[in-house]
Amino acid sequence: MLKILGRKTSSNVQKVLWVADELGLEYERSDIGGPFGGNDTPDYLKRNPNGKVPTIIEDDGWVLWESNAITRYLAAKHGNGTLYPTDLRVRADAERWMDWQTNTVSPQMVGVFRGLVRTPPEKRDPGAIAAARDGLSKVMGIMDDHLSRNDYMAGKSFTVGDIPLGIAAWRWFRMPIEREDYPHLKRWSDLLAKRKPYQTHVMQPLE
Amino acid sequence: MLKIIGRKTSSNVQKVLWACGEMGVPYDRQDAGLQFGVVNTADYIAMNPNKLVPTIIEDGFVLWESNSIVRYLAMKHGVGTLCPTDLQLRASAERWMDWQLTTLLRAISPMFHGLIRTPPEKRDAAAIARSRDEAEEKFGIMDSYLAKTTYIAGNDFTFGDIPLGIHAYRWFTFEGIERKDLKNLKRWYDLLCQRPAFREHIMIGLS
Repeated sequence: MLKILGRKTSSNVQKVLWVADELGLEYERSDIGGPFGGNDTPDYLKRNPNGKVPTIIEDDGWVLWESNAITRYLAAKHGNGTLYPTDLRVRADAERWMDWQTNTVSPQMVGVFRGLVRTPPEKRDPGAIAAARDGLSKVMGIMDDHLSRNDYMAGKSFTVGDIPLGIAAWRWFRMPIEREDYPHLKRWSDLLAKRKPYQTHVMQPLE
Repeated sequence: MLKIIGRKTSSNVQKVLWACGEMGVPYDRQDAGLQFGVVNTADYIAMNPNKLVPTIIEDGFVLWESNSIVRYLAMKHGVGTLCPTDLQLRASAERWMDWQLTTLLRAISPMFHGLIRTPPEKRDAAAIARSRDEAEEKFGIMDSYLAKTTYIAGNDFTFGDIPLGIHAYRWFTFEGIERKDLKNLKRWYDLLCQRPAFREHIMIGLS
């Protein structure tokens, strides 16, 4: 059975849990990372020298890490034509939004999320949190504009391109921050909220 | 014909130029970014609200995010070469592309900007030293994989080598820095240096 190594509160682990459930895969998950530790042991580092979660192990012993690459791999293997578009342009569109989550959304999100959710009030840097919130709002605005013309991030259907950003959107709407009115982002987020795997793995209290 | 928008000194534009060179895909390139501007014009933002380079246009289809562009072109023109047909190999290659975004780039960026794009009297020596240490650690991770395989995702050159190869060129080209002897990394880098497309698009000095 597919093994998923990583604590379920990690946004990167949530990508893999969400896609696995969308695809109806069976898996065993073990808690690693954050308060659980275990990601700096020799055994873990042998599989994943980057020392982060998630890592997956398939039945044949093959190991993969990097959450977006795992998400695409599982979708390409088990969801070709649904989560993983067969039209190359639609697929590239979806992949683009995954890359963009990694290099543009994530640095802003980390600044707000770590500051407000994982730092005790007396140790917070309000200036840094406010700057990251403004940056995060700008990227959410880019999504809102894109979603004014598209049902989902890569067009008319739900794809892998919605997964990393769907997790970011949950955090955006859930964190105790000021939020601009982004109606298209909200409409899309409400669509995601109807999906069982999203409810199970993503719509959870922030910690 | 494929149009590529972006200055040829950008590591992200270089990924696309190198991939096109490997596959013999003809293109027209237009300068944009940094001293060339363009990225803040309304026309450009309408195509790419992220305001970075590169962007490609192919018969009206617009795509940005360099790694997604490379994968798109390889899935179209390089299945079985740049894009492995075996799903595990493909995922392994894609993992290294993601890792360049999430990990290697963040480690090496301060060093590149400090040494190449900042005048000596304005450089932050401590930040550059920290970045050098981190970059060396990340190249060490690559070295451990390259001890077992010829290229980063196995026995053959794939798109997984492209984002990493560009940063390896920078690493081996910086002047006046210490470099730990990572012999597997060096062996792989020497292989890349034999490729005509790498010589043409990547080995052009640092600026």
